[in-house]
Amino acid sequence: MPPLPTMTHSSSFLLPSSSPPAPPTGADAENAVSYAVVVLNQRLPRFAPLLWTRARLRVCADGGANRVFDGMPDLLPGEDPDEVRVRYKPDAIEGDMDSVRPEVKEYYSSLGTQIIDDSPDQDTTDLNKCISFITRNPPGPDNSNLFILVLGALGGRFDHEMGNINVLHRFSNTRIILLSDDSSIFLLPKTHSHEIHIERSVEGPHCGLIPMGAPSSSSTTTGLRWNLDNTSMNFGGLLSTSNIVEEEIVTVTSDSDLIWTISLRKHT
Amino acid sequence: RCASWTSEAPVAVGDADQIQFLKHSTRTRATINCNFSEHAPCPMEPHHPRRAPTAAMDPPSPAGARPAMSHSSAFLLPSSATPAASADAYAVVVLNQRLPRFAPLLWDRAQVRVCADGGANRVFDGMPELLPGHARDDVRSRYKPDVIKGDMDSVRPEVKEYYSNLGTKIADQSHDQDTTDLHKCVAFITDNSPGSDKSNLCILVLGALGGRFDHEMGNINVLHLFPNIKIVLLSDDCLIFLLPRTHTHSIHIERSVEGPHCGLIPVGTPSTSTTTTGLRWNLDNTHMSFGGLISTSNIVDEDQVMVTSDSDLIWTISLRH
Repeated sequence: MPPLPTMTHSSSFLLPSSSPPAPPTGADAENAVSYAVVVLNQRLPRFAPLLWTRARLRVCADGGANRVFDGMPDLLPGEDPDEVRVRYKPDAIEGDMDSVRPEVKEYYSSLGTQIIDDSPDQDTTDLNKCISFITRNPPGPDNSNLFILVLGALGGRFDHEMGNINVLHRFSNTRIILLSDDSSIFLLPKTHSHEIHIERSVEGPHCGLIPMGAPSSSSTTTGLRWNLDNTSMNFGGLLSTSNIVEEEIVTVTSDSDLIWTISLRKHT
Repeated sequence: RCASWTSEAPVAVGDADQIQFLKHSTRTRATINCNFSEHAPCPMEPHHPRRAPTAAMDPPSPAGARPAMSHSSAFLLPSSATPAASADAYAVVVLNQRLPRFAPLLWDRAQVRVCADGGANRVFDGMPELLPGHARDDVRSRYKPDVIKGDMDSVRPEVKEYYSNLGTKIADQSHDQDTTDLHKCVAFITDNSPGSDKSNLCILVLGALGGRFDHEMGNINVLHLFPNIKIVLLSDDCLIFLLPRTHTHSIHIERSVEGPHCGLIPVGTPSTSTTTTGLRWNLDNTHMSFGGLISTSNIVDEDQVMVTSDSDLIWTISLRH
């Protein structure tokens, strides 16, 4: 059986502005990573301004627009709130519009934000709608190096959180990362073996591998304090939680889709 | 006709093109008519197993023979609304996250209160904040844990000292790195509860949801590791508990404190067949899995929700503010 193709992962987007990822030149420009940010309806994590600035496309899911309107000035207290709001203006607000405050919608609309009212579609979650929008309107030449960073997808109502994680499984060919103040999570599809580059200054040491939705008969890792070695994992049995990253590259191969999670350092 | 099978709950039977799905009141007994020929298996007969077991599961017991399990969130009702001794006895476990607003209510009526390590900090700091009209020292001595358990690397020394002086048992388990804090607390409670029948034990857990994602998943795994114990994880926004596949479930909805948003999640393994009543969008022998359909943002439409599934499911319902 041929070896699985390798997928690499990096959280360099979390690095502070003073050490941004190097701008692409020449051939690299074609492979340059581009970011889109999606904001769901929960309190912004502290690194929201950093990610927003890095992104080429910013979409709020319904009440996420309230969170940007209220939260960005809070996270940038040294600056004038009105200037912050103009600078941190979403490109689109998408969803069924039952949570966004009318005055917030009006404010951004008058600044040019696209308002996409999806209220007829009750079958997909807000995040699902936003991912679809972004993949149809990619900020770069195509979707191959697009990373979608999602704020506000974890915590809060549990069914929302699970619906958001399900979006990772349903769009398994798209790089989607869910971020909170405490953790970052993304899918490791079973179709690939994975190389996760750890940015030690902003993430770790606590990590985990979760067989979300289906058991894994065999997972193998390197780079962790407690590596898996052809180990089976399932709810009701063993999960890898409260593990520790020991090396700068963690490798993972599994017969099942896994959710990778790593803690974020408090000063990120 | 399956003459021998009657049920108080409507369930889907067989394959779609052979089903006659009868909806009826859950309060009346009725006989289910199966439109099966004599050659086709009737899933409701004990000698015809309903589904082939999947690799990860034990063979399911025939659906008609499964015992019923009932669930109620009466413990969330305000003190004035609860008739004496109506709510089951329960234990409270506090993990290391900010207390939800109803923490004092649950603590008051608990039989035993356990803090997992840094959960003791949260009680020490958080209870006075939730009861601002009372003197802090009064609150702290009134809301004193029975036990603080775990590896003691998060509880502040002065907090541990304070409670120890008041008689709180300190159960140091720093040598056991293989189980989570919640696991240790659940094991402690089951080891120390009277009688051999643990099926009446109910453990309410605060601080298990949100926060670090691997912690949350480890906490949800504890529900799966102790399927015979009623463990409810609560936050300000919602509560969750396990619906083991070994039972059919009757969930009584306390509409004054919970709902309307709810969901059913096959966290550990796909569900080939789940059936519900009482929801806005009921499942009808429906397949659920990550990567496909899971029931989220559903709505409770009736006071009683019934769930039957071939897989363990996590039930979740929103809590009213």
